[in-house]
Amino acid sequence: MISAYYFGAISLILIGLYAVLVKKNILKILIGLSIMETGVNLLLISIGYVSGRSAPILSEGIGPLQAVDPIPQALVLTAIVIGVATTAMALSVAIILYEKYGTLNIEEIRRLRG
Amino acid sequence: MSQVASLLIALPLISAFFVPVLKQIRKSLIFPYLVIITLIQTGIAGWVFYEVYTTGKPILIYAGGWKPPVGINLYIGHFAALFALVIAIVSFLTALFSFKAINVEPVDKYAMLFLLLMLGATGMIATGDIFNLFVFMEITAITAYALTAYNKTGEAAEASMKYIVLGGIGSSFFLVGVALLYGATGTLNMAQLAEFASEGNIAPVVAQVGLALVIFGLAVEAELFPLNAWAPDAYQAAPHPITAMFSAFVVKAGLYAMARILYLLQDAQGWSSVLKLLLIMATLTVIFAELSALRQKDVKRMIAYSSIGQIGLIALAFSLGTEAGVSAGVFHMLNHAIVKALMFLAIGYVGVTLGGTRLENFEGLGKKMPLTAFALSVGAVSTVGVPLFNVFWSKFRIIVATLQAGHVWPAALVLFASVVEAVYYFRLLHLIWFSGEGERVRESWFVVFLIILALLIIAIGVYPTPAWEIAKRAGSDIFAVANYIKNVPLIRLG
Repeated sequence: MISAYYFGAISLILIGLYAVLVKKNILKILIGLSIMETGVNLLLISIGYVSGRSAPILSEGIGPLQAVDPIPQALVLTAIVIGVATTAMALSVAIILYEKYGTLNIEEIRRLRG
Repeated sequence: MSQVASLLIALPLISAFFVPVLKQIRKSLIFPYLVIITLIQTGIAGWVFYEVYTTGKPILIYAGGWKPPVGINLYIGHFAALFALVIAIVSFLTALFSFKAINVEPVDKYAMLFLLLMLGATGMIATGDIFNLFVFMEITAITAYALTAYNKTGEAAEASMKYIVLGGIGSSFFLVGVALLYGATGTLNMAQLAEFASEGNIAPVVAQVGLALVIFGLAVEAELFPLNAWAPDAYQAAPHPITAMFSAFVVKAGLYAMARILYLLQDAQGWSSVLKLLLIMATLTVIFAELSALRQKDVKRMIAYSSIGQIGLIALAFSLGTEAGVSAGVFHMLNHAIVKALMFLAIGYVGVTLGGTRLENFEGLGKKMPLTAFALSVGAVSTVGVPLFNVFWSKFRIIVATLQAGHVWPAALVLFASVVEAVYYFRLLHLIWFSGEGERVRESWFVVFLIILALLIIAIGVYPTPAWEIAKRAGSDIFAVANYIKNVPLIRLG
């Protein structure tokens, strides 16, 4: 039986990928990308989860053996920041696109052709 | 003493943060500052290169003094030392070129992004940790997105948007691959990962799926076939100096990362099927890129497609799984970095001087700007793979290695693509030298550097042995994983 965390995380990735591939509006594509990143972060976190243990903050009564794996949490912290930076970058490019083309439909944004 | 090598990462980072301060003082100081920083970087990289190649030992740097696999380590072996030098030199040349080519405001942001792009690429080839590789890859990618959109035209924004969407998908895939490898082994350190693989402790399914995801993620940066649609657009729309950087080292960093992770797991079961995947992607990249280049009207876009084709050739060499193939691939990386830096700088120079990079602008270039035209011609002839030029030797070695590995069809297809390549390059050469009339245009001091690069191409073409020896040592750095594990002292945890 596959764990619900893994199932949920991978479904989120696939939903995001679906949105990127199918949607025509740039903002919806960017929302898809964000959903995908969230799914990846969730997957990373659930890999480090050990059933029944608490957050890896060492304090009274919680030693290293009672805490979940702290490494994925550090990874996710980094990945979240990177995701936000990418989204901010993409949104500013979307603003320029709307100013220059007057539309956000990817089928009408086609000036570069080979 | 060897810890000085960490300045390769630290110097661009620190100096990038001083750019806004400098802008407050005086705007005209920014480009000289960029040139000085890249010159210092070249000096450090040259010292590191000398150190690594004379002692034969890699320089290891432990972040915070924590030994691997607990801390992050930088591994500056033969490959990283060579390419840190290439990155620094190309950055120096593009910084010089930026004086002329960048006249869109804001220059301070350009300088910051430029330094961060250099930082990201250096970090990608120097790191010894797969998550750290992801972080450096994202630094490279985000600065590349921003620099692509730098010209603020509709086309630039369009190209950047394509790059962002593809790059976002790619980095998500890469991260899932890292998560799988971490979940299966419990380590992110490359040396320990390789140790697990050589002891047969990685399940074949995890190794295959993880590797395939990592390769797909890196293929966006490395411009391999299904994921390279962003590249020609980005090359066409990005500022001219940035194009030279993309082609000369950003792509190479992605390719190197791909080869490194691939060869780390070479003892894992099911490895050869991943190689086959890469082989198919690489061959398709070469064919599609060369055929698309044939019908381009814009020279910059044409060279961009040609660059993708050459990258496919390198990926083909890496997908053979033999030492000869890897060394030939590294040799081609080195040669291609020199040639494409020259080509994109020369084309950018023509574009800046004559206002555009359409084919018409190149008509009669031999009469208008003979020195630039000469450099451009050397680059073009070399890319096609004519003997006595450097690319001939590396292409030759790649084809031989492919045949030795028993892949006749990929070798034949790649040779066919080389013929196609010759067609459009000689069409360009004909346009430059034998058609059109033109007045002589004064060429500035920058041409000297183009000529030096052109002479370097010829020098390696006539005396390939020293460069080949260097490439061979750099190649064995990737291939000989047992050596790599031995060089990184892992502390044992109970």
